[in-house]
Amino acid sequence: MAEGAAAGGVDRVVPALAGFGRELRAAGLPVGTGQVLSFCRGLARLDPTDLRDVYWSGRTCLVSRHDDLAAYDDAFARYFLGAPAHRLVVTAGGTPAIDERRPALHAPAPAAGTERETSPRDVGHAASDVEVLRGKDFADCDPDELAAIGRLLAGLVIATPWRKSRRTQRARKGTRPDLRRALREHVRDGAVRDIPRRRPRVRPRPLVLLLDVSGSMSAYSRALLQFAYAVTRGPGRVEVFCFGTRLTRVSGALARRDPDEALRQAADAVVDWEGGTRIGDSLREYLRSWAWRGGCRGAVVVICSDGLERGDPDVLAVAMARLARLAYRIVWVNPLKAGPAYEPATRGMRAALPHIDLLVSGHNLASLAELATVIEAFD
Amino acid sequence: MSTSGDRRPARPQSVEEVSARLGEQAYLADRGLGTAIFLSLSLGQPLLLEGEAGVGKTEVAKALAPALGAELVRLQCYEGIDAHQALYEWDYTRQLLYVRLLQEGGELREDAADEIFGPRFLVERPLLQAVRAGDRAVLLIDEIDRADDEFEAFLLEMLSDFQVTVPELGTIRAERPPAVVLTSNRTRELHDALKRRCLYHWIDYPSPEREVEIIAARAPAVPADLARRVAGAVDRIRTLDLVKRPGVAETIEWAKALAFLGAERLERDSVEVTLGTVVKDHDDLVRIRDELGGILTDG
Repeated sequence: MAEGAAAGGVDRVVPALAGFGRELRAAGLPVGTGQVLSFCRGLARLDPTDLRDVYWSGRTCLVSRHDDLAAYDDAFARYFLGAPAHRLVVTAGGTPAIDERRPALHAPAPAAGTERETSPRDVGHAASDVEVLRGKDFADCDPDELAAIGRLLAGLVIATPWRKSRRTQRARKGTRPDLRRALREHVRDGAVRDIPRRRPRVRPRPLVLLLDVSGSMSAYSRALLQFAYAVTRGPGRVEVFCFGTRLTRVSGALARRDPDEALRQAADAVVDWEGGTRIGDSLREYLRSWAWRGGCRGAVVVICSDGLERGDPDVLAVAMARLARLAYRIVWVNPLKAGPAYEPATRGMRAALPHIDLLVSGHNLASLAELATVIEAFD
Repeated sequence: MSTSGDRRPARPQSVEEVSARLGEQAYLADRGLGTAIFLSLSLGQPLLLEGEAGVGKTEVAKALAPALGAELVRLQCYEGIDAHQALYEWDYTRQLLYVRLLQEGGELREDAADEIFGPRFLVERPLLQAVRAGDRAVLLIDEIDRADDEFEAFLLEMLSDFQVTVPELGTIRAERPPAVVLTSNRTRELHDALKRRCLYHWIDYPSPEREVEIIAARAPAVPADLARRVAGAVDRIRTLDLVKRPGVAETIEWAKALAFLGAERLERDSVEVTLGTVVKDHDDLVRIRDELGGILTDG
C-alpha cells in the first residue's frame, strides 16, 4: 500500500485530528496522547478524506468504553459535520445511544444535618450519650443526633463471608500438595521431609445494598445512606443502589473520601426522594441492568425497605425469586419490625418473605451493628 | 509450534481485504469491525472487543486465525487465574520422578538441575505459546473481565513487550508480535491502562438484513425465505424486556432447528417446540409465549 502518500495526506490533517482529540476530552472522554497518536497513524493506513474511515478509526482508537460511544457520536457530528448529533446517521451497526443522564433533584428533608460545622451540642456527646444514641430509633433523632450517628457509623465495618478463590496459598495443613516447592526442596536437600501444601485462597463475597428512599422511609433514609457509606469502606466489593419508583446507582458517589461530599453527591444522584415505592419494578430494573455487572452473583444482598409496595406484588415476587437464585444470601432490613406487634403482613412483605434469609429491623444504631455481625457470621 | 511455516498469506492491506478474508471463513464483518481489525493488525495494537453476550466476539478471533493463515492460541480467563496458568509451568510430577530415577541409578550429577529445568519439562501455557509463535499466531484472551486486577496488570506488561523470561531458560521474545484479540462481557470495568493500550470496538446485534446473510453463511441448508422470517422474529424478540436477549448463535440454531423440522414459515406449532433454541430462561419463555402473535406477524 502506498503508505507514504497516504501518510502525507494525513500530515496535513494532523492538527485537525488532534483538535478532535481535544474536543472529545472537552466532552469528558478520557483520551490519552497515545490514543490520538494511534488515531493519526491508523488513519495514515486508511483514507483520511473518507469520513467513514475517520469515524471508524476514531471510534476504534479514541473510545474505550461503551458508555462513551454516544458522546463520541455527538462530538464527531459537532466537530466534523458542524451538525447536532441526531443528524449523524451511521449505518452498519450504529449503536443506540443510551442517555443515562437524568435530571437530578436535591434531597429535601434532612438537609440541615448535612452541614458539618460542629455545633456546641456535638462536642458534648459523652459515652452515656452514645449509649442512648445506640438504642434511639432513627425516626426520633434530630439532625444533630443523626450527624453524631453518622460519625459512630463510620466505625462500623461489615465483613462479608468468604468464598474460595481458584488461587492458592501456602498452608501447613493445606489440601493440595505443593509440587513446585517439593521439587525445590528435593533438589536442594536430596529429600522431602514433609510434603509442602497449599490451600485455596479465600476472598470476601461482594455486598449489594438496595436502599428504599421513598416517602414512607424518609425518617430512615439518611441514616441508611450513612450506613451505606460506612459499609463501602469495608473489604471486598460493595455496590449501593437507592430506589423509590426508580433505581439509582450511588456506589460511584459514595466512593468519595470525604463523607459529607459523598453523601451530598449520592443524595443529588437519586431522582425520587420521598416519592412512592415500586419495589418490584426497582428490583427488576436492578436485575436487568446491574445484577450481572453489579456483582450480584454469590453476593450478600441487603434490601432496606418497609415493604409498603405500591406496585404489583406479583412483580416483586418474581423479582425476589430471581434475586434469590443469583445471590448468596438476602437480608431484608425493615424498620417497622422494631414495633412489638409487627407482622410482615403487607402485600409487599408477604410476596418477598419466602425468598428472604433474614429479616432484621435496622431502625437504630444497635440493630445496624447487630446486622454487621450477623452478615459476618453467614456461612 | 505452528505447522503453517512460511507459506502463510501476507497480512491484509486494506479494510476490504480484511472483510473479504473473514468472509471466506464464514464470518461477516461490517465496516466498523473490519476497520478495527485492520488497524489492530497495522498498528500492532491489541483489539478489545465488547458487546452483549452472543454477538460473536470470540468468533472474530476464531475466524481471524485461519484468515491470516495463523494458529489460534486461546487463553480463557477465569476468576483466580494467575501467571503460571497463563504463561508456563514446570511439570513437577515428572521432574520429581526423574530426580528419583537419577538418584536410584546413582547418576545425580552436578548438572542434573540444568536438565530438570530444561525444555523437556516445561509446560507451555497459551501466552508463552503465543510469544514463541509470534505473528504465526492469533492470541485470543477470552473474557478478560473474569480475571482479577493483578492478572490484568500482568497482562498489560506482557502485551507491551511480548517477552517472557523463564529464569532457568532465559528470555524468549516474539520477533514479530502476534495479533491479539481480547474480549470482555463487562462484568466489571477494565483498568484504564489496559484499555488505553488497546484499540476498542463495540459489537452490536446485527441488523435483520445482516443476520439473514449470517444465517446464509453459517447454515447454508436453511432456505432463504425462512432465514429472513427468523431474523425478523429474533429482531422483534430482542426489543422485548428480557432477562437474556438471544445472540447471533441462537438465531442460527433456531433457523437450523426449524429447517431440520421442515418448516418453511414461522407457524405457532413449530415455533413453540423450537423456542428453547433461542430463549433459555424460563421467565423469558413465558414472556415470549404471551407475545407470540406480535413476534410472528408477517412471519
